[in-house]
Amino acid sequence: MLGAVGLTMTYGLSGFPNFAHAEFITLGAFIGYFVADQLGLGLSLAFIVAFLVSGIVGFLCYRGIFQPLAKRGATIIHLMVASIALGFILRHSIGAIWSWRPLYFTTSWPAFDLGPIRVTGLWLLLIFTAVTLAFVMHLILTRTKIGKAIRATSSNPELALASGINIDRVIWITWFVGGGLAAIAGIFRGADTQIWPMTGWDIILPMFAVVILGGIGNFYGAIVAAFIVGLAENIGVVVLVALGLSTTYRIGIAFVILIVTLIIKPQGLAMLFRRA
Amino acid sequence: MDPLLYGLDLVVFIGIFGIVALSLNLEFGFAGLANFGKVAFFLVGAYTYALLSQIGIPFSLCLIAGGLVAAIFGLLVSLPTLRLRVDYLAISVLAFGEILRLIVKSEDFAGGDWGISVAPAITIAGASPHVGVLVNIGLVYFCLLICFVIAQLLANSPYGRVVRAIRDDEVAAEALGKDRAKYRAQIFMIGSAMAGLAGGLYVQYLHYVLPGMFVPMVTFTVWIMVLLGGPANNWGVLLGAVLVELFKYGTNLAKPILPIDPINLQYILFGALIILVLFYRPQGLLKESPIKTKALELVRYGKGVVNNKASK
Repeated sequence: MLGAVGLTMTYGLSGFPNFAHAEFITLGAFIGYFVADQLGLGLSLAFIVAFLVSGIVGFLCYRGIFQPLAKRGATIIHLMVASIALGFILRHSIGAIWSWRPLYFTTSWPAFDLGPIRVTGLWLLLIFTAVTLAFVMHLILTRTKIGKAIRATSSNPELALASGINIDRVIWITWFVGGGLAAIAGIFRGADTQIWPMTGWDIILPMFAVVILGGIGNFYGAIVAAFIVGLAENIGVVVLVALGLSTTYRIGIAFVILIVTLIIKPQGLAMLFRRA
Repeated sequence: MDPLLYGLDLVVFIGIFGIVALSLNLEFGFAGLANFGKVAFFLVGAYTYALLSQIGIPFSLCLIAGGLVAAIFGLLVSLPTLRLRVDYLAISVLAFGEILRLIVKSEDFAGGDWGISVAPAITIAGASPHVGVLVNIGLVYFCLLICFVIAQLLANSPYGRVVRAIRDDEVAAEALGKDRAKYRAQIFMIGSAMAGLAGGLYVQYLHYVLPGMFVPMVTFTVWIMVLLGGPANNWGVLLGAVLVELFKYGTNLAKPILPIDPINLQYILFGALIILVLFYRPQGLLKESPIKTKALELVRYGKGVVNNKASK
């Protein structure tokens, strides 16, 4: 969910799917690992540094590549290809620096049983962070000037520009925040499983399912859709096991959701949140 | 490895990826469709070939079947998205490719991680490896020639003009009564069929098929060929295929003298190359040429009247 929120916001504002978002996640996971484990500075600092680094990379990517390309009249396809190209550069630079062997966070988490389910401290922290960040983002989007500017730019850039909003600045801030949120998602993902240069790419397709199901550029839609896709994947795994199929088809569930959404309601859940 | 064999190997790969690049050019260059899952149809063709050749079907039928099955898959995947914006097609086809790769990886009939070994299409008893590769070059370039002729005919026919018109202005084309989803679906099927054919050629040349051969990078290698060579120019994309394959072989040869892993370097340079091309030469090395029609000839060579509108 944390990753998808950033993706949906940059998608909605800039009008193209940024495939390099996967690499913002990966980069976040590696920066987090670097700060927390290689430098030994603790996890809280890791979150902050990863947020900043990925955010700045996100901003630089937009400012340095996508914005000038769009100004030269690149089509949406060109922008998508550029984002994938950028993804390759980032992913393989990471691969060249940290190598392709999977890495693991050394922090261990207290685990305890909650009824029949085993819960780790990491999951609790994840749930807590996700809820807090969603709430903070909600407050920013509805109560602050920049939040209102983001929503205005997302729904009608020309009108926002005419109302005196500096839409370039709004989009820059969105890319920064989007990259930063991706980094946090990356650290959680890395801590839960492993870190390697494909960390982000492994979850980019479910994230696109979330973004499209939620309605592109729709913050609340993305949150609801993240829950739906997450639940569907976990229920789906049980069904897959019951059917005797391999659980590697888990990613297929997100794909089915994606296709069904496109057939039935391409605008996603956005119609539920018209004012969002 | 013997340098002559290495060079011949390169020629085969240029031919095979030339076919894939031509097919992507039909979809992206002429019809404006972003196929980010080209590798999926390549995979379908490859596995169809491998599975059918296992039960003893002659190679020519296997190749044709690979193309047909890929075309059917192309139609099925593209149907939900062809009426929508191009980015939906890109995402769903990309996802489709990843899922297919997972399926062939985890199902036993497709050989799982170990893949399937494939018998070569034509074997000549007692021939040296060089002759074997030469036979393959003949086969691959025969298929490439057919695909090139089809692509050129499609591009320069009235049909091709409709497809380009839909790319340039959907609304205007639709107002003239051209059903954009129908044309797009047809182009997507033809493109997928060519990719499937290339997939078949690929596995019969390598003599095996593995899930790991069909990573998304293959798709983007082909995208680089098309973007570098020149979208909507069939000669251009062939040039692109030659350049990209040469570059790949060059970096592999330079492996011992490079400070970092050549695979990482290759991908970083490819990424940088795409971005540079998009920045400085979005039309590619060879530009899209105007369609040859009577009217154009008249304008160009007739009375010396220069009328740019007619050349569109």
